[in-house]
Amino acid sequence: MSNLTMMTEEEKLEQFVQRIEAGDKIEADDWMPEEYRMALIKLISMHGISEIMGALPEKEWVPKAPSLHRKLGIMAKVQDEMGHGQLLLRVAEDLLKPYGKNRGDLMQDLFNGDLKFHNVFHMDTRTWGDAGLIGWLVDGAAIITQTNMLGASYGPYARALQRICAEEVFHAQHGEAIIMALAEGTEEQRAMVQDALNRWWDALLMFFGPASKDTTGSSKQDVTIKYKIRTKTNEQLRQAFFDKYVPRILSLGLKLPDPTMHYDEENKVWVYQQPDWAEFKKIIKNQGPRSQERLNLRRTSYENNAWVRDALAATVS
Amino acid sequence: MSSTENVLSPEYKEAVTNLLFQLADDDFLISFRGSEWLGLAPHIEEDVASSSISQDTMGHAAMYYTLLEELSIGKADDLAHLRPASERKNSILAERVNGEGYYMETPQYDWAYAVVRNFFYAQAKKVKIDSLRQSSYQPLAETAVKVNMELYYHLLHWKTWFVQLLSSTDEAKQKMTAAMELVMKDFGDVFSYGNEKAAIEGNQLIASEEELKARWTANMTPIFESLEMAVPAIPEASEKNGRNGEHTEELDGALATLSEVYKLDPVAVW
Amino acid sequence: MAEKTFYQEYEVFSKRTPSSAFQHQFSLLAPNEDMALVMAQENFMRREPVADIWIVNRKHIRAMDAEEKLTLGRLDNKQYRTTKGYGYLKKKWRHYEQQMLDEKEILSWGGDGK
Repeated sequence: MSNLTMMTEEEKLEQFVQRIEAGDKIEADDWMPEEYRMALIKLISMHGISEIMGALPEKEWVPKAPSLHRKLGIMAKVQDEMGHGQLLLRVAEDLLKPYGKNRGDLMQDLFNGDLKFHNVFHMDTRTWGDAGLIGWLVDGAAIITQTNMLGASYGPYARALQRICAEEVFHAQHGEAIIMALAEGTEEQRAMVQDALNRWWDALLMFFGPASKDTTGSSKQDVTIKYKIRTKTNEQLRQAFFDKYVPRILSLGLKLPDPTMHYDEENKVWVYQQPDWAEFKKIIKNQGPRSQERLNLRRTSYENNAWVRDALAATVS
Repeated sequence: MSSTENVLSPEYKEAVTNLLFQLADDDFLISFRGSEWLGLAPHIEEDVASSSISQDTMGHAAMYYTLLEELSIGKADDLAHLRPASERKNSILAERVNGEGYYMETPQYDWAYAVVRNFFYAQAKKVKIDSLRQSSYQPLAETAVKVNMELYYHLLHWKTWFVQLLSSTDEAKQKMTAAMELVMKDFGDVFSYGNEKAAIEGNQLIASEEELKARWTANMTPIFESLEMAVPAIPEASEKNGRNGEHTEELDGALATLSEVYKLDPVAVW
Repeated sequence: MAEKTFYQEYEVFSKRTPSSAFQHQFSLLAPNEDMALVMAQENFMRREPVADIWIVNRKHIRAMDAEEKLTLGRLDNKQYRTTKGYGYLKKKWRHYEQQMLDEKEILSWGGDGK
């Protein structure tokens, strides 16, 4: 059966599964089952829009950053977040073509509440310590989840992640530099980091999602693993995050906000207190501490600039 | 640089210091305003592109502040973050807000104003940098050669936006025309050296105000001709001259924000 | 409100040095070539040297569909086309007390004319 146009849907699916099993990469114009396309669209448009929304909390500290060097560093870092949004939205936009949807529609989905963004970007940033903590631990968590998908079966996503993860190395060091300066600084500066860590801890645990769908009623981890978009489960990723970051947190003289947390040598797992998953559900429904303000900012700036996009449409050639 | 410092006469050093503050404060304030735009530009790709220009420009400011540090005027970060408005020497244009509202809430920024301000400013900067490459103060001449490298992109970028928006919809043309009026109202001190005019020009640190204005107009002429428009006239003087430390409340707002964290503890390492 | 769209897709290519080949980077949305060009470098090559940039509107790219990609299949029996099929010469030249002119040797001749 060499003539693709003559193949039945079942045969196409069978060939598709074989390609994925063989480690082949699927490209934008290739045939793919609807379930795969939908899973990718959901995952990548949420990832992309989270970068665009994620620029906002850190951006709050860009004009305030406490030296020329820090101002430049955090500007470059937030610029990268917008850049990651650009890469990911391009990937999502190509997947959306069969539905006649484009970037403008994704923005509308965000404003309508149909397209969600990551729980961490709904949170308050109260001090410069938060700016450092986001760079260090939120980006650390993001690095864990993103590197887990570097081998994704969807080629365009894997290539975007390759570029993103290369830049995340800079982000990790940018965050470490801020945190280390504070941790080695005055008493007030040290208190600033500890306070930020205390306030961000639950959000960091939630970042990886619930361990199973029993917790929150739904989880997209099963379908993404089935199609080799990622390999590890939410809980495995959370444990990997603890492995990398808990020793570093402690080495800087910071205290874990969860006093019960410990490593179970026998089972080789971190034992920790679950965050409030009901709160998580609320947050990602845009009912978090800063959800509405950030959406409002994104919406206002998008609408204020509508005339620019109209003007550009008149220059199409 | 202590050897350079030793051979400078007090009068020459004073003139150099003044000019360096004008250059540093201009680039610092306009890049600060650029940084407030981050994440809010009309198009994601443009957000990324224009942020690079803000970073380049703040990098230039840092180079000038470092030249001042080398003249033992103070630590670069202190000079950037701690000086009160009355000691700032930037032009009024560089300190203006991007539009109504504070960036932490839901500001109403004006992209037409951003395009016109940045394009006119970049062209003015280019004219100054070309002249500074022959400055009698060698460290400044060397810095000008470096800064010049990055100006080609800044100019191309803002010129492209300027020309395209003025060649598009009626609404865009109206907004751009209104923005040009606002920008030109503040253009009176852009080429001014304030009270230091005689010392700065006399010591051959940079070409005269009149010469630079003429070059700016000459550089702008072909672009405006292609749009069938006349180059706006640079006002003789402005109500306030930033070079003499005269500023608007908009600068106070900017300084409060940019120094908020630094001022928590200026001797701490951040 | 149906917004008129300016979303043209441009593929971006660049070269690192004047002597290197063009390499595909990524794609961006822009209304026209000039605008695509002023956004290309900072979007995809912020941290690497760039010697030149190409912008190509995606509609000008003739790509292959899955059917056409089948034409790319090929058997691995074409040693006669490559040096692999002539490896035995090494041993023969040794017999004549000469070295074989392999790829490394031949490409080195372009250097400083040794």
